[in-house]
Amino acid sequence: MYEEIFTLIYAAIVMAFVAWTIRKGSFIVDPSRLAIYAAFIFAALLAILILLGVDIGIAASALMKLGAAGILFAGTIPIIAATVGFFRFGEEYGPNIFYARNHIAGVIDTDCSLVMIFVGILIFRFDLVAVGFFFFLLLPFSGNALANAYYYSYQRRLNK
Amino acid sequence: MIAPNILNDFAETAFFWAALVFMVAVSIAGLGALRLSLKGEAVTALMGVSSFTTVAGVGLYLISLPELFNVGFARDTAIALLVLGTVGTIIFARLFRTEG
Repeated sequence: MYEEIFTLIYAAIVMAFVAWTIRKGSFIVDPSRLAIYAAFIFAALLAILILLGVDIGIAASALMKLGAAGILFAGTIPIIAATVGFFRFGEEYGPNIFYARNHIAGVIDTDCSLVMIFVGILIFRFDLVAVGFFFFLLLPFSGNALANAYYYSYQRRLNK
Repeated sequence: MIAPNILNDFAETAFFWAALVFMVAVSIAGLGALRLSLKGEAVTALMGVSSFTTVAGVGLYLISLPELFNVGFARDTAIALLVLGTVGTIIFARLFRTEG
């Protein structure tokens, strides 16, 4: 019971922070600083747990799994926002709507690949990291190829 | 003094629910991608299918993790979907790219 309540509070905090960042349109905390803060919080919590008598391996593994859970919660909000965009923008916006949709698809792809990479690192599943990284490398080519194909096969003909 | 199993229970519960919520979000995104792939011209459909392979691959990979549902065979399907989906999108986009 306590675990579920803790999870609910943790999810609410992480998701509210990400939703606030998306709503604001710029970073609330600079990502480079955020990484340093996260490392500091991890080290402080690890030190507290060791002082309380928990084995260092168990404490580090539990904290890293909590970090992986935070990344999964954080990755949920951009995917939901992108899905709303998929349903929201219809054909009434004209032929250029394809590029907006391509951007939305790119958000989903990038979010999924980054979640795979960081969750894989934090739970020590390096096959997940490898596939996520390979996917992350291929994404820009895929998006560019789609936009290029749309421009040369459809939009150019439309403009003539 | 904190018992190690309590700490592990907290971490495992949080990870399980986080992965479950992520998989639900990814499934909803899959519905959006499917809707996109069933309308519009060929390149839009290709983009929808590409997005669908991504979300299906990530969802299946999460299912295959031993920390969650431990469905081992889902991992091969997930890798095939993620890699071949992206490579196939690039190849088909090159095929669609005609000078009209």
